[in-house]
Amino acid sequence: MARLHVVIPALVHTFIRSKTEYPGAMVLGWLSQFAAYGSMYTAISLILARFGSLGGWVWPEIALLLSFHLLAYSLGASLSFVQFREMEEKVRIGTMDAILVKPVSTWTYIVFSGLNIGYAGHIVLALGLMAWSLTQVDVTWTGQSSLLFVCYLISAAMIIAAVMTMIGATALVWVKSNHLYQIFFGFWELARYPLNIFPLPLQLLMLTFAPLAFMAYVPVAATLGKPVPLLGDYASAAALLAGPLVTLIAMAHWRWCLRNYQGAGG
Amino acid sequence: MAIISAQGVEKTFRQPKRQSGLAGAIRSLFSRDYTEVRAVNGISFTIQPGEAVGYLGPNGAGKSTMIKMMTGILVPTAGTLSVLGREPHSNRITNAAEIGVVFGQRSQLWWDLPVRDSFDLNRHIYDIPTPRFAENLTRLTTMLDMGGYIDRPVRQLSLGQRMRAEIAMALLHDPKILFLDEPTIGLDVVAKDVVRKFLAEVNRERGTTIILTTHDLVDIEEICPRLIMVDDGKLLFDGELKHLRSALGSRRRLKLEFGTDPGPITLKTAHLVTDEGAAKHFLLDSEQTSILDVLTELGSGHDLKDVKLEEPDIEEVIRTFYKNKVQAGVAP
Repeated sequence: MARLHVVIPALVHTFIRSKTEYPGAMVLGWLSQFAAYGSMYTAISLILARFGSLGGWVWPEIALLLSFHLLAYSLGASLSFVQFREMEEKVRIGTMDAILVKPVSTWTYIVFSGLNIGYAGHIVLALGLMAWSLTQVDVTWTGQSSLLFVCYLISAAMIIAAVMTMIGATALVWVKSNHLYQIFFGFWELARYPLNIFPLPLQLLMLTFAPLAFMAYVPVAATLGKPVPLLGDYASAAALLAGPLVTLIAMAHWRWCLRNYQGAGG
Repeated sequence: MAIISAQGVEKTFRQPKRQSGLAGAIRSLFSRDYTEVRAVNGISFTIQPGEAVGYLGPNGAGKSTMIKMMTGILVPTAGTLSVLGREPHSNRITNAAEIGVVFGQRSQLWWDLPVRDSFDLNRHIYDIPTPRFAENLTRLTTMLDMGGYIDRPVRQLSLGQRMRAEIAMALLHDPKILFLDEPTIGLDVVAKDVVRKFLAEVNRERGTTIILTTHDLVDIEEICPRLIMVDDGKLLFDGELKHLRSALGSRRRLKLEFGTDPGPITLKTAHLVTDEGAAKHFLLDSEQTSILDVLTELGSGHDLKDVKLEEPDIEEVIRTFYKNKVQAGVAP
């Protein structure tokens, strides 16, 4: 069996080499993403400056929420989004077959042969905004709370990669699954805002079947010591466990879909 | 011991029934009926190490499905399948390390990078020791004449060059079995010839077992002494190519040319099909009938000038077989 510590760097190296064949497009992609998110965050900050707070959250807290949301998304999506969005095409034209005959885990091959360095713009913006907001919010940082914050971030990134994996895996059975990304991004948009501004059924949905409240709101609220609807004192533990739990479900779904892969005919 | 063994292998796909028209399409959104399509239906065969086997059949016969099951991509619905002593789908990764696969219509090369980069990635994926990789790369580059383009991006290569690179990449790790799914599809005559000669040599010199699906019978004639022919997912023929004609009931054609028209001739050993006067065309009634048998029966009282025995070419044999099937009301 292939040695992952050798194969993963080789896959990433090959992918980056293929991307740097078009350096202009790569840099332009980073700049456009930076500009798109930057202008959106500016708009949100201007609205907050007019109204003071949103669901009891002031601008530095919202900035932390937005930056956590973007950073968790970038980390998770760089491992998954483009790779699994292309799954439908891979199945339809048969290139998935060529991946399945490689002596390496199919998930590993797909993820690292498409590790998306295009999220560099997102990450730079998210880190910048987070660095500023952390100096503005009222949190006493200790070694334990810092470690907890990093763990929240990893758990949130795992949720993104797991959900993307599940959507992509569905294409192995349904051939078409990209419409599910539209549903995902609908909830993803909502996940940028404090959960308590939404009606109860939506809160419930975002804490269960569409668990994107755990990708930013729950961990950031737990960090800031804000009350979390429905979870209360369990918010911190739930934010830590959500990522591994969704990942386990995604692994089971991925294996089931792989076993039931039929190709698209031909 | 057989390197591949298939016993009663079946693969059934569940496909939605298409309803005609817009109303049918809308109806199918709410209630969908499914039909079961048996792409592979009780196929059994064994393949010994070092064999070169052509897997032949019309579109939809189940060729690619069988290859996908042997390479571990698809899971058989029924039957037992063993490749290198393992069940391919449940040992997919282990199995993949010992086989090579070439898809004629699906490239495994990195489109934007030079061929060499794809080869180098495979060196890591297949954990090929550096000296063996270097040796194989040199040998394959020379044999397939790839020296001129190995450092060019794949997107700039012709189809023939790309296919040679695909085949070389599949052989870099010295696989025990090489599966090729339509490797010559779309290639020009020269490129096909290069690929065929190379594959025959790999089989002969290196002892690599080759399983090849194709529509092109010349591929099989030049590479594979053994032929497995399938249709509607079922096995029609498994044996040496030279026995296919008799197995499918195809008969040899005999032309007798006389100095002058001998008039009507009736023979027990051959059946007259065309009478052109001085030239008469017969079909021999069985594989065992020899020219000598016919000439003995004809006797010496004719002004016989020339005798010509024509073996039906394999393509004609198969075409006739499928044509007869269609005429009998069964779609091939």
